[in-house]
Amino acid sequence: MKLRPEKVGGRARVSDLFGNQAISMLVILAAMFLVLSRLSPYFFTVGNLSDITLQTAVIGIIAAGETLIIISGGIDLSVGSIFACSGVVGGIVLQKTASVPAGLLATVLFGGVLGFFNGLFITRLRVPPFVATLGMLGMARGAALILSRGIPIFGLSSQYLWIGQGKIFDLIPVPTIILLMVFALTFFVAHYTRFGRFTYAIGSNAEAAALSGINLRLVTTCIYTGGGLLCGVASIIEGARLATIQPAGGTGYELLAIGAVVIGGTSLFGGEGSIIATLMGAILETTIRNGLNILGVNAFWHYVVNGGVIIAAVAVDQFKRRA
Amino acid sequence: MEPLLKMQGVCKSFYGTQVLKEVAFELRIREVHALLGENGAGKSTLIKIISGAYKLDAGVVTFKGQNINYGPKGAEDLGIVTIYQNFHLVPHLNVAENLALRQLTSEKGWRVDWTAVYRQARVTLEKLNFPIDPRSKVKDLSIARQQMLEIAIALSKRAEVIVMDEPTAALSRKEIETLFGIIRQLKADGISVIYVSHKLEEIKEIGDRVTILRDGRNVATLGLQETELKEIIRLMIGREVTASAWQEERPGKAVVLALQGVTSRSFGHPLNLTVREHEVVGVTGLVGAGKTELARVLFGIDRIEGGNLYLQGKEVGLVDPRAAVTAGIGYLPEDRDGKGLCLNLGVRENLTLALLAKLKQILLNRASEKKLVSAGMKSVQIRAAGMAQKVKYLSGGNKQKVVFGKWLEAGCQVLILDEPTTGIDVGARKELYDLVHRFVEKTATAVVFISSDVNEILEVADRVLVMSNYRIVAELDAQHTDKQSIVEHSMRLIS
Repeated sequence: MKLRPEKVGGRARVSDLFGNQAISMLVILAAMFLVLSRLSPYFFTVGNLSDITLQTAVIGIIAAGETLIIISGGIDLSVGSIFACSGVVGGIVLQKTASVPAGLLATVLFGGVLGFFNGLFITRLRVPPFVATLGMLGMARGAALILSRGIPIFGLSSQYLWIGQGKIFDLIPVPTIILLMVFALTFFVAHYTRFGRFTYAIGSNAEAAALSGINLRLVTTCIYTGGGLLCGVASIIEGARLATIQPAGGTGYELLAIGAVVIGGTSLFGGEGSIIATLMGAILETTIRNGLNILGVNAFWHYVVNGGVIIAAVAVDQFKRRA
Repeated sequence: MEPLLKMQGVCKSFYGTQVLKEVAFELRIREVHALLGENGAGKSTLIKIISGAYKLDAGVVTFKGQNINYGPKGAEDLGIVTIYQNFHLVPHLNVAENLALRQLTSEKGWRVDWTAVYRQARVTLEKLNFPIDPRSKVKDLSIARQQMLEIAIALSKRAEVIVMDEPTAALSRKEIETLFGIIRQLKADGISVIYVSHKLEEIKEIGDRVTILRDGRNVATLGLQETELKEIIRLMIGREVTASAWQEERPGKAVVLALQGVTSRSFGHPLNLTVREHEVVGVTGLVGAGKTELARVLFGIDRIEGGNLYLQGKEVGLVDPRAAVTAGIGYLPEDRDGKGLCLNLGVRENLTLALLAKLKQILLNRASEKKLVSAGMKSVQIRAAGMAQKVKYLSGGNKQKVVFGKWLEAGCQVLILDEPTTGIDVGARKELYDLVHRFVEKTATAVVFISSDVNEILEVADRVLVMSNYRIVAELDAQHTDKQSIVEHSMRLIS
């Protein structure tokens, strides 16, 4: 005998009200800007605000790919290593060919290749995403160090550096433009392509998705490949900003990228999440670091605060779900 | 003789629906008492009252002549232990640990005397003659061995009454015989058994008396030796016996789906099946007869190992569900929430999922999707706050309509429905039957409707296939058959 009381929309309406994560994130950001500009006259200047978007670019771009991965019910711990390894490979190609386009293409594509391998480990070898990408974290880092012999790559051309340091109209940093383009594209993919719809469906219920005729392996592999490609893009920006490609770079970026996604309210259980809220999450993380910097707080504290914010964000989210 | 357990005037309601209506039941010492009834007759509720899991609304229960009123722990203290269909064992612990679990959790102190735990386990298992290694993990044991372990645990709680809920559902014939040996031994040792099942032959073989429930009432308590099986079926389903006519092949109509000599992992005996245009084929049979496995073969979940599957006259190889969807087959799984729906997505996303999987283009046309969805919601009558409402907030009936609508949107021609009305109220059932009938009016469409509810099959199907032991044992015309003969076929009383 199965009797289920009918659930009517009451709960749904409450969660709809709070549910628009992007809007509540915007409110939090605004409040933070208000407080910080009170505390420091330097904070709310054009220079500093454009710095914040610049600093957000690298983590934000990685987090965009990570968002789709997490929405699909997976996780990618290898983003920092893929970031470094694709940078090194692109840097070597740049040195050998002396062609900037070839170097850029190699960086992005190699990031994609590593992401593709993540996808293969998960779909063909049936290794859980956590383990597969943990393995990749080690392998890609090792490969970056082996290929570069542990030595940073210098001597990047001025064309290359423009990507990280240039400004359009002498005002908007190039990385900011790239960041916005990546998010526009990711948003488009998530909401206006079949692939995006399948990503949500797989994260919500992989078995139901497969029984509806979705090619799980293909879609999952593409999701991780996309994540890898974006790591390559982020790597170019960081290399160009710092004028060197560091084989040891990107350490701990998985924490910041997953942090941005989670602060943006994307559920680690999959099927739910917003690309725009991830962008807000990344900006929030940068703003906190920037604010602490301006206030003269020791840089080591940034990690502590960032970790605390991640836990607080998820705790608030859990509380709202129960409400 | 004074009965061991006696229940009188027991009533129980859930959400205003009365499930048990003044039921009387008595259990004698050293008796195997079978409890029989169709799905929803109130068997589970009655045993949950006996085991103390439910409180009764009205009525009196006496045990050894004393009035009792207890919870689950109280029942076990009295010596009434229930073995549920899904065992309450801890799968990652080993046999000895499971045997000692109750003792370990109730004892004070932090030290565990493992030598004693294993010695005790060995003694218990040897005494019962159960061939189980105390050190093997429970999850590695066969279902039959897990059941033995449950019985051993029950006995270690000094059970005088053991309630077994569908104990043979997952057992092979040989394992069933072992179980019956154990039950006879229990009886000889002075223990009474309440045996819940709907397998009549087994009840006849092992039971002393039977109590038959129908619609929440005790319709009879009979001695099994002197009662005919046909009489028991009549009491159980509440209708008179009438002769049944056999269905002949209906020529003329095109065959939409056909299986010829198909074997698979589950079907060793080759299956033959034809489904014609505009036809609703009902498939029924007891639990474990192979109904769901048939659906899995038809939808490409289980690979076909031998034989052929034809769709609209053409042979198709269904390598996976994706191939089935592409070929025009839709599947409404029994586990609607677990396999049919993306619960935290909206009605919109769920309705178009299979259609999108079939398409080839990259982009998603949101405007035309919206049009499709709003038309689809209207045609299958989904009651939701809007197309963005998350499916998890819908009622069972509306959820099922979403799954049904998903396959309509995808333009399927053959739908396989596996127990589509579980957890759905009567009103929504009627709507679903309507949807099924409207669906088969279209050209080249057909439905395979799987259900263990014979009334439902008779109501919705044109032709009825009865399955038993992974074979199709009877093919009946729904117009000229009745419940009695279907039930008799499914229990292999006619062959």
